[in-house]
Order: sequence, then C-alpha cells, then structure tokens
Amino acid sequence: MSSFDKLTTSMESVTAEQLKDLDPALFEFAPYSENASESRGYSNYAYWRSTWRSFSHNRTAMTLLIGLIVLLCFTFVQPLLPAQKSPTQVYTNAQTGRQERNHAPCAEFWFGTNTIGQDLWARVWSGTRTSLLIGLAVGLWNAVLGIIVGALWGYVRRLDGLLTEAYNVVRNIPNSIILILASYIMRPSVGTMIAAMCVTGWLPMARFVRNQIVIIRDREYNLASRCLGTPTERLIRKNLLPYLVSVIMLRIALAIPQAIGQEVFLTYIGLGLPVSIPSLGNLINEGRIVMMSASTRYQLLFPALVLSAVTVSFYVMGNAFADAADPRNHV
Amino acid sequence: MDYAHAEKILSVSDLVIKFNLRGRVLTAIRGISMDIYKGESLAIVGESGSGKSVFTKSFMGLLDSNGWIDNGSIMYGGVDLAKYTTEKQWLRVRGREIAMVFQDPMTSLNPLKTIGRQIQETVELHQGLRGGAAREKTHEILRDVGIAEPERRAKQYPHEFSGGMRQRVVIAIAVACSPRILICDEPTTALDVTIQAQILQLLRNLQSKYGLTVVYITHDLGVVANVADRIAVMYAGDIVETGLCEEVFYNAQHPYTWALLASLPQLGVRGEELNSIAGTPPSLFADIKGDAFAPRNPRALKIDYLLRPPFFEVSPTHRART
Amino acid sequence: MFLYVLKRLFQSLITLFVITTVVFLLLRLMPEEGYFGENYDKLDEMQKEVILTEMGLRDPLHVQLGKFYKNLFHGDLGRSIVFRPRVKIWRIIKPKVPYSLWFGVASVTLSLLIGIPMGLFMARCKGHWFDSLGSGYIVLINSVPAAVYYLFIQLYLSSALRLPMLFDARNPASWVLPAVSMSLSGIAYYAMWVRRYMVDELNRDYVKLARAKGLSSTQIMTRHVIRNAFVPVTQYIPMSFLLTISGSIYVESLFSIPGMGGLLVTAIQRQDNPLVQALVLIFSSVGILGLFLGDVLMALFDPRIKLTRKAASR
Repeated sequence: MSSFDKLTTSMESVTAEQLKDLDPALFEFAPYSENASESRGYSNYAYWRSTWRSFSHNRTAMTLLIGLIVLLCFTFVQPLLPAQKSPTQVYTNAQTGRQERNHAPCAEFWFGTNTIGQDLWARVWSGTRTSLLIGLAVGLWNAVLGIIVGALWGYVRRLDGLLTEAYNVVRNIPNSIILILASYIMRPSVGTMIAAMCVTGWLPMARFVRNQIVIIRDREYNLASRCLGTPTERLIRKNLLPYLVSVIMLRIALAIPQAIGQEVFLTYIGLGLPVSIPSLGNLINEGRIVMMSASTRYQLLFPALVLSAVTVSFYVMGNAFADAADPRNHV
Repeated sequence: MDYAHAEKILSVSDLVIKFNLRGRVLTAIRGISMDIYKGESLAIVGESGSGKSVFTKSFMGLLDSNGWIDNGSIMYGGVDLAKYTTEKQWLRVRGREIAMVFQDPMTSLNPLKTIGRQIQETVELHQGLRGGAAREKTHEILRDVGIAEPERRAKQYPHEFSGGMRQRVVIAIAVACSPRILICDEPTTALDVTIQAQILQLLRNLQSKYGLTVVYITHDLGVVANVADRIAVMYAGDIVETGLCEEVFYNAQHPYTWALLASLPQLGVRGEELNSIAGTPPSLFADIKGDAFAPRNPRALKIDYLLRPPFFEVSPTHRART
Repeated sequence: MFLYVLKRLFQSLITLFVITTVVFLLLRLMPEEGYFGENYDKLDEMQKEVILTEMGLRDPLHVQLGKFYKNLFHGDLGRSIVFRPRVKIWRIIKPKVPYSLWFGVASVTLSLLIGIPMGLFMARCKGHWFDSLGSGYIVLINSVPAAVYYLFIQLYLSSALRLPMLFDARNPASWVLPAVSMSLSGIAYYAMWVRRYMVDELNRDYVKLARAKGLSSTQIMTRHVIRNAFVPVTQYIPMSFLLTISGSIYVESLFSIPGMGGLLVTAIQRQDNPLVQALVLIFSSVGILGLFLGDVLMALFDPRIKLTRKAASR
C-alpha cells in the first residue's frame, strides 16, 4: 500500500503509472443512493438540548445553579430540621430572666440574636422565604398579566395606538415614585407589597410580548407559514412560544432580585412589611440601625450575605440562560 | 489574457483554514493549492457555504477572530502571508496591495458619514494626499466610477444613493487604495439585473485602466461568462476544477461542474424540467474522507469514498479533481 | 427635526398633566389620618369634618382638581400639615433644592465620565481581564440591591478611606462618598450599554470594509465606531436621571443630606399628604424632562431621524 500512501500525501497531479499500482477493483462505480447523499449534511439539532448544552458549558452559571438549588432547598427545609427556633419568639435567659439581646453568634444561636432577643438564624431563613415568595408572586403575576395584555396589544391592531400612548405616558414616571405612592396608599402587608410591585411591573413584559407579536405577524417565515396554511394556534405554539418561554423564564428569574431590592427600598423608607413578618428587607433595616458598633454588626452582615447570594445567583443564572437560549448562539 | 507568458502574482499552497464555533472545530478550507496570475480575471464559483469568501479573506487577514490558518502558505511578493500574525503586518497588505469590494453596498458604508469623507479617508491613507488635493482626487475617482456631479454627491449620505450607485462608491473606495489585486465578493448579487451589466462593465474598464488583477467571487455563472478569463470551481472547501473560461464551460470534467452547468435554466426553451443536484453539501465539522462530492455523484467510484481524487490535467491550463 | 421636537414636547406635557392628575386623585384615596397628624385621636367627628371642609377636601373632585391647578399656576403647592404645620410647601422645599441638584448633577456627571470610557475599554478588551472585571462589577451592582451596597460603602469605605460617614455642609470631604455612591449604578448602566453597542457596531459590515481599506483598529474605533455607537447610547442619558432620582431618595437619608429625597422619606414617614404630593410631582417632572431631553439629543445625533415617527426601540 505504499503507493497508496504516496498518493495521499502528494495530491497535486498524478500520472498514469501511479494509478496502475492501485487495486483495479477500486475503480468500479460505487453504489449511489439519494438518501445517502443527504446524510453527510444532516445535523442532529434540537433546540432545548442545544440550550442546555450551551448552559452547562458555562461553569460559573452551573456552579451558581447548584449553589442556588442547595440554598433554596435549605431555605424551605430549614424549619423541619431539628433544633430550629421560632423566628418571632423572644428568648429569655432561663437563669437571669432577661431577654437574650444582641448575642453574638454562638452555639445556641447560630447567627446570634437581635435587639429584642429573637433568633437571627431562624429570622434570616424565614425572611428569605418571605422575600422569595414575594419575588416569585410578583414575577409570575407580571409575566401572566404581561403576556395576556401584550398578546392582545400586539394582535388587535386597533388597541395598538391607544395602548402605546398610554405606555409612553406611564414609562416617564420613575418606578420608585410609583412604588412609593402605591405603598403609601395601602396598609402595609405582604399582599400590599406584592400589589405595589405589580401595579406597573407587568408593563415591560407586556411591551416586550407586544413587540414580539408585531414582529411575528410580519416576519417572513411566519408569512410563509401562513401561506402554507398553518393555523394561527400552531404558529403561536411552534414559532413564537419557544422563544417566549425562555425569555419569560429569564424575566421571572430577574424579577426576584428586583423584587427583593424594591422591598428593601420600601422598607427603608418606612413603607415595608410590618415588623412582625420577618423579611430580608426588615432584617437589613434592623441591622442598619445597629451597624455602627462592631459588636452588633453581624445583624446586618448575615442577612446581607444571604440576600446577596440569592440575588447574584438569580441574576447571573438568568442572564446565562438567556444567552444559552438564544438560537444565534447555538452551533 | 495571455497565459503562456503570465506571471504569478499570488500563490496559495495547501491552505487549510479552520474555525472554532463554541468549542466545535469546522474546517472551512481543506487544503487548496492555486495560483493567481498577474492581470487576469479569475472567477471563483461555488454554492453558498463552499468557502469562497473565507478563501479570499484569508489573503487580507480578514478572517473572523475565531478562525485561523491551520496549514499551508500564501506567497505574495516573496512573503508568506499565512505567517502574518500582527495587525501591523496586515496593514501593509490591506488596501495597499489587495483591496476588497463587498456584496451588500448598503451595509458596507458607514451610514453616518458622507460618502465623500469615506472615499477621502482612503485617499488620504493610501495616496498621501491631504485636504484640498485629497478632495480633488476624491471627485476624480467619483467621476471614474461614473457618478455625475461628484462635488455635490460627495456631501451626501449613503442612504441618499441608489443601490447601483452605492456599489460604485464601494468600488471607488477600493480603487482609491490603488491596489494590485481587487477581490470582488459577489459584487452584483444585491443589484438589479440591469445595473449588474453596468457594474461589470465598470469593473472591466477599471481593470484595464489601472492594470488590476481581479478576482470575482460569485455563484452566478452568467456573471462569470461575462467577465472571467479563468474559472475555479469550489465545493465544500476545496477547489474541484480550474481552467480557462471556454474550457470549463464547453469541456467541463468534474461532475459537480456538469451539474452546475446543467442546472442553468435555458431561456427560450419551454416546458423544460429544472435540473437540480440531489443531496446537500457535507457538514464541515467532520473530517471528510475521500471526495466530498462522492455521495451526490451518481458516477462516483469506490475509491472516491476513500481518497480525495488528485488533480488530473486536461490541458496545461485546465485541471479537474476527478 | 423641529416638528419632532415639538411633538415630543407636546407628549411630555400631556404626560405631566396625566401624572399630576393621577397623583392628585390617588392621594385622595389615602387614609385621612394624614391630614391631622397627632391630633387625630383628640378631635371628634365634627371637628374633623370642619377641618377637612376647610382644606377643601369635601368638595367634589373636579372642583378640587381645578383649585389645585389654579394654585399650581400661581406657584402655590399648598401647605404642609404635619411636617411643618401651616408652612408653605414651597418654602420648605426651596432650601433643599440646591443640595439635591448638586448631588444629582455630580452623580450623573461622574457616571458619564467613568461609565462611558469604562464601556469603551471593555469593548476594546473584549474577553480580556478588564472586560471580565468590568462585567463582574456590573453584575454586582445590578443584582445586589442598592440598599445593601450603600450600607456597605458607608460602613467600610468610609473607615477605609477615612471619609466622614455623614454629610456635613461645612466639610468638603463629606461630599465625596454620597456622590460616588449615587453614581455607582449609573456607571454600571453606561458601561454595560456602551459596551453592548460597541460590540454590536464592531460586528457591522462597514467596519469590515474599513478594515479591508487598511484602517488600523484604533483608527476604526475612533473615527467610525465610537460615533456610531453613541447615537443609541444618548437615549440612555435621561434614564440615568431617573436612576439618580431614586438613588437620591435613598442616599440622602442614609447620609443625612438635607435634600429633597430625604424630605420625601420624612414626609412619608410622617404622612404629610400635601408634601408627598408636591415632591412626587417634582420628581416626576424631572424624570419627564430628562426623557424628553434624551430624545432630543438622540435626534440631533442621528441624521436618519428626520420625521416625527421614531422606531420604537425601547
């Protein structure tokens, strides 16, 4: 086979003699099939699988994902663990009868106690649960309402002009002012907080969905689908939905840190949840009051750390997911 | 074009170009060897994705940042361009020696700058003129490419020009560099048929006026017939046939070339069945064993699946891999 | 172009009108305790009715609205009830305006001065350490609530840099931390968008032609890309005004700056309705003005915007 090898290495021009050295059987016609001709070009592409593959290659996002899942599981499992204390109970020292105020972290109180004598560890996790719940509720509500309004806005042409003008008007108001107003008018509670964040929180989503639908109506691949007789429902389901789903998940993921941030903001101003319901906003505020002295600073640090861990994870993961889900980034 | 006494201006030998797409490696050019002669009009023909643009971009170092030359050499003026790594080295070549005309004139021009400024920039860069002299030269070049009232038009923005005129502007920019080789990447694809002929005529005139070597990249055989001295047919990152224009059109040897020519609809013939080539081009991510065209070739030999066919000489100027 | 500006101005005025009316109506929904301060429990029903009628709160809504606008045009924003009883609101707000203005302008300027070059460098060094560092910074600022990092700055940075923790008009060093804090999110904002648009522009065809022409990367950046990338970036300048407003509400009370933001916090805590109303109006106006200016700026820079309709890119 040495002449064979010679041929493979110098492929420029070949002479008749070199050809003679090869096995003549190789020069017969090979079987031809049209199906086989397609096979070399075929690529095994599936959208969600490619998305997942893209995402899992991003090490930072995967680490944070795992970390976040662990954190979330722990947050909700925590009350069921043994030796957990109640977040609202004020603890008094059995011996002295005094309240256990401002204890630094120790064996009994893992995160220490606050100024009234409540267990900070339990309060932090309870607060995280509350804040996450608020964030999730706000995110879901904004998504659902946003999609419904956005879809109508985009599809029904007559509504478009009116809603666009209304949107332009509302967009000009700083979001914090709206939040403040809404919270100011209503009585403080978890429901109020969620409501305040949902007053105009669904607008960006509605606007986005509307833009997508408008593009969808006019994009050529959809016109082509319609020409071929594809019913509207299938069009929405196969062309629009896959992209929407990933963006919706992104928005919900980003809504959670945003909601937590807004809650902290409102609590600070004095429009937050009542003190009886622990939330990360409350805890940070309580911590702020005592942060000046180094011995009580832990009351700020622990909630802040947990808060940051949650928000950073959601934010990075949300963005990484958006990147992975973008078909233009798929190979 | 006299090929008997032609002098080589650019020589490519065994060029392999690869791209890294999110971790997967794609071999865009799979070992091409070819020469370009001084003063000729060479047309590189092939379907989309065959690697025509990538091949010529490598001459100027315009490959995307995720691509690199894996192997081979590009000899130009005694220097191997494939070995260039820094921008400074490429700046000696780009524009000055080799210039490029792109496909879509609308996006090729900066929409926020007047076209006069864009041409003048080139003149100042490559011809060493400044200020008033540069502006004079700009107007002269505009006249050369057939744009009337150059003084007025130079102050306008790209969106105020029609498609054909914009392409003329792009050609003006390329010519203002006074290069030796001009590469036209699908110069007429984005234009109306009536304008196409004008642009091709313009290019021919400029070629003879400035003594340029022109390389046309196109998938339109009509354009080829119009302008080319020599044709190179590309498929899946490899050149499968090269030859003089008449040789390839009238005496094509490679099955892919046959299929290309056969798929041209004939004007004036009624009820003709449109021929197409069955199958799709291979995925360039995998290593291709043997002849890339074999699966679509009803006349493939068994050996074609194992080895890449070498070039067979049909005439001193005509070679085919088959 | 002129028509466009006119149209936008008109839109802004309508927006202002709508907001004012809405705020006015909303505030009528507020708990009535806000009008009485500590005296709420001490007064009986009759006295409360009398006071409310006196204040005009029992008139039909449209009458109230009319009176409100009439007063507004005379520059009368009403009187505070709880915070400083019976004092004209304008008199309360006026001394605070310079502080808020100063910090607002300072932080927007800082954001621009630091954020834009940062974004440029990040785009230039895409993939290298500066880009990663900048991206990390942006991630932190965007995900961690401002409330939290302001606190940390006040705590740790002030002792590390030996800057005073609270604001004091007589001490110039105390101006630094609040201004810097307020500009942080603006910096992240600009850096992110500048980088994104730069990267987009760098991928455009005309850049490829410029490279083919023989221009060096630096020349391409300075002569073509930066100017083109700036056009969409200008639309974000007014947005940062809005960010500054919300930032100011926070930072001012945190650092004890006697500005309008801090006043709003106090007004809310004390439930002084007219004061809240007036402040909300002012803040909204600033926001609207900012957005209007941004649209005008964008129109100035882009020769393609000649008509009144602009592509809805937001």
